[in-house]
Amino acid sequence: MTDQFTSDPSKPAQRMRAGSMVIPLVPWGIAAVLLMVLPFIFTANSAITIMNQMAITIIFALAYNMLLGQGGMLSFGHAVYAGVGGFACVHIMNMDDFFAGIPLPLLPIFGGLMGMGLATIVGSFSTRKAGTVFAMISLGVGELIAACSVIIVAFFGGEEGISGDRTYGMPFFGVEFLQQIEVYYLIAAWLLISAALMYLYSRTPLGRMANAVRDNPERAEFLGYSARWVRFFSFVASGFFAGVAGALFAVNYEILTEENLNTTQSGLILLATFLGGVGFFFGPILGAIVFTLVQTVLSLQTELWGFYLGIVFVVTVMFFPGGLAGLIMMHVPAMRLGKLGRLGIPYLKTLGAGAVGCLGAAALIEMTFHLRHASAGDHSMTLYWITFDSHTMLPWIVAIAVTLIGFGIVRATAPALAEAWNDANTPDGAPR
Amino acid sequence: MSAALELDGLKKSFGQTEIIRGVDLSIGKGERHAIIGPNGAGKSTLFNLITGRFPQTEGAIRLHGQDLAGKAPFEINRMGLSRSFQITNIFPKMTVFENVRCSLLWSMGYRYNFWSMVGRSRALTKGTDEILDQINLTARRDLPAGVLSYAEQRALEIGITIAGGADVIMLDEPTAGMSHSETDYIVDLIRTVTTGKTLIMVEHDMGVVFGLADQISVLVYGEIIATGTPEAVRANPKVQEAYLGEALETH
Repeated sequence: MTDQFTSDPSKPAQRMRAGSMVIPLVPWGIAAVLLMVLPFIFTANSAITIMNQMAITIIFALAYNMLLGQGGMLSFGHAVYAGVGGFACVHIMNMDDFFAGIPLPLLPIFGGLMGMGLATIVGSFSTRKAGTVFAMISLGVGELIAACSVIIVAFFGGEEGISGDRTYGMPFFGVEFLQQIEVYYLIAAWLLISAALMYLYSRTPLGRMANAVRDNPERAEFLGYSARWVRFFSFVASGFFAGVAGALFAVNYEILTEENLNTTQSGLILLATFLGGVGFFFGPILGAIVFTLVQTVLSLQTELWGFYLGIVFVVTVMFFPGGLAGLIMMHVPAMRLGKLGRLGIPYLKTLGAGAVGCLGAAALIEMTFHLRHASAGDHSMTLYWITFDSHTMLPWIVAIAVTLIGFGIVRATAPALAEAWNDANTPDGAPR
Repeated sequence: MSAALELDGLKKSFGQTEIIRGVDLSIGKGERHAIIGPNGAGKSTLFNLITGRFPQTEGAIRLHGQDLAGKAPFEINRMGLSRSFQITNIFPKMTVFENVRCSLLWSMGYRYNFWSMVGRSRALTKGTDEILDQINLTARRDLPAGVLSYAEQRALEIGITIAGGADVIMLDEPTAGMSHSETDYIVDLIRTVTTGKTLIMVEHDMGVVFGLADQISVLVYGEIIATGTPEAVRANPKVQEAYLGEALETH
C-alpha cells in the first residue's frame, strides 16, 4: 500500500483522498450520465434486473464502508439494518390508505429512517468500543434479529417472509412503476443521491473525525472528541443508508425474507466491500459491481461460483488488502510519471498467462466436481463451449498442461514484470 | 499568580503497587514546569492521571480550579488542557494538513457537525496553515503523516497538541530519541509555540530541562522530593543525593 505514496512534496499523491479541498464534479457527472444511458446499452430485461441488483448492492456497500473503511468498525451483522428497512417498507406498501398517499420514490426515506432507528438503539451500546468488541456485538445482534424473523412473525412473516405490491403507491408524475425500467430509474436516482450524500458526509467535520478515530481513537479523545460518539454517529448514518438499500430491495423485488437479514447476507456485503477496497470512496462501488456480476452471471455458468469468489476473497485479503481500488490507485505514481505504458506488455505477458492458468485450474476443479457429483452414467460435460467425456484421460491431460504452462509462464515472466514496475515508478534519471 | 493546575494528595495504585504516593503540586499560569526523575519514578503515570487516561486512586486534580475527577480525556481537553505522548501518537494515514485540521475542529466549534464541508471553511484552512507554518511542515502538507521522519513526526505531534488553543500544554518527553541538532530544533519550537501558555513537561535531557523550564519538580518513587527554580533544585542536597548528582555535573 505504500506504493501509492510519493515522497515528493510538490506532487501530493493523495488528491483523490477525502480531505482535499476540491470536490471533483467530473466523476459524478460521468456517473449520472452513465446511469442515464445504461438501460439503452443493456436493453435486455435480465440486464436491467442485474443493474437494479447492482445499484442496491452499491448503496449497501457504500453504507457498510462508512463503518469499515471510514470508521474502522468491522460489522458482521450489517444486513440487519438493510433488512429491517426493507421489511418496514413492505409493511408500508401493505398499508393501503397510507401507501396510496405517498409516491413510491419517497418510500426509501422511510426505510432509511427505520434502519437509522435500529442503528441508534444498537449503536448506543455497540459503539462504545471498536475492534473485537464491536465485531462481536454486531455478530450477536445480527444473529439475534435474524432469529427474531421466525419469532416475530407479524413483522418478519416467518419463513416465507412478507410481500407487497409497489404499484399501490401514489402515482409519481403518472408513473406507476409497473415496469422494470421505471424501477431502474428510481433506484438509479437513489443511488446517485445516496452516494453523493455519503461522499459529502466524508468531507464534514464528523466524517473527517471518523477517519481520525479509525486511525487513532486515543489521539482523537485528546483533541476533544469522544471516540465513542464519533463512532455512534457514523453507525447511525450508515444505518440510514443501509435502510435505503433495503427499501430499494423491497421496491425492486416486492418480497423480503429472513435471507435479507441473516449473517450470510452480512458476510456477503463485507466480502463485496473488501473486494472493492475499503481505502477509497469508490472501492465499494467497484466491489459491488464485480460481486453482483459474479453472483448473477457467473452463477449461471457454474454451481461453484461461491468457491471461486472465496478464493478471490482470500487472495485479496492476503496479497491486495487495498482491494480493486487499491490496485488501481497503485498505478497513480506511474501515471504521474507518464510511464504507465511501459507496464502494458509485461502485464499482458504475465496476467494473460495467469488468466490461462486460472482457466486451466478452474477446468480441473469443474471436472473433479463433475466426476464426483454428476448422476451415474452421465459422463459428458461442457466447459468453455467444448463438450467432452469427463471420464477419459485426454481432457485431464489438457487441463493439467494448460494450468502448468499458464502458471509456469507467470513464474518465468514475474521478474520482468517486477523490473518493469520499478522502472515505471522511478522518475527518469533518478538513481535506481 | 493563580494556579493553572493543582494536584492535591494524588495517589495511584495498580493492584498492590502504589506508583504515585501522594503528590502535591501547584503550577502557576504561564509557568514552564518540568517534571524530572529517574526511570520508573511515575512521571508518565502522573501525566496519564492528569489527562484522564487513568482514574486516580485518591486525591484531587484541579484545572483552573475545576475538579477533574471522573472526567474523560475529551472532556479535560475541552477544558483547555492538551498533551503530547512519549510514543508518537498521530494519525499516520491522514495527511499532515488533516492531522492539524482535526485538532482544530473542536476548538473552532465544529463539534459533531455533519452538514458543512471542512474544505469550504477558510478560517479552518487558514488556521491549519498557520500551525503548519509554525512547526515548519508546510512543505510536507499533503503527505501522509506516517511517512514523515521521526523528528518531523514529533514536530507534528507538538503542532497537534497546541493547535486546539489549549492554555495548558503537557509534553511527555518531547525530545526522546532525537539527535543533538533535532533536539535544539524542537526546543526552539516548543519555546515559540508555548509562549504565553502554561507548559508542563516530562523530560530526560537535562539540557532541555534547564534550557526551557523556569520551575522544576523532582519525582522519585511516586513522590515529589523538591520543587523550585532550576538553581534551587540544582542546589538541593536531597535532589543531588537521590538523582541529580551526576546528571547535573555534566551541565
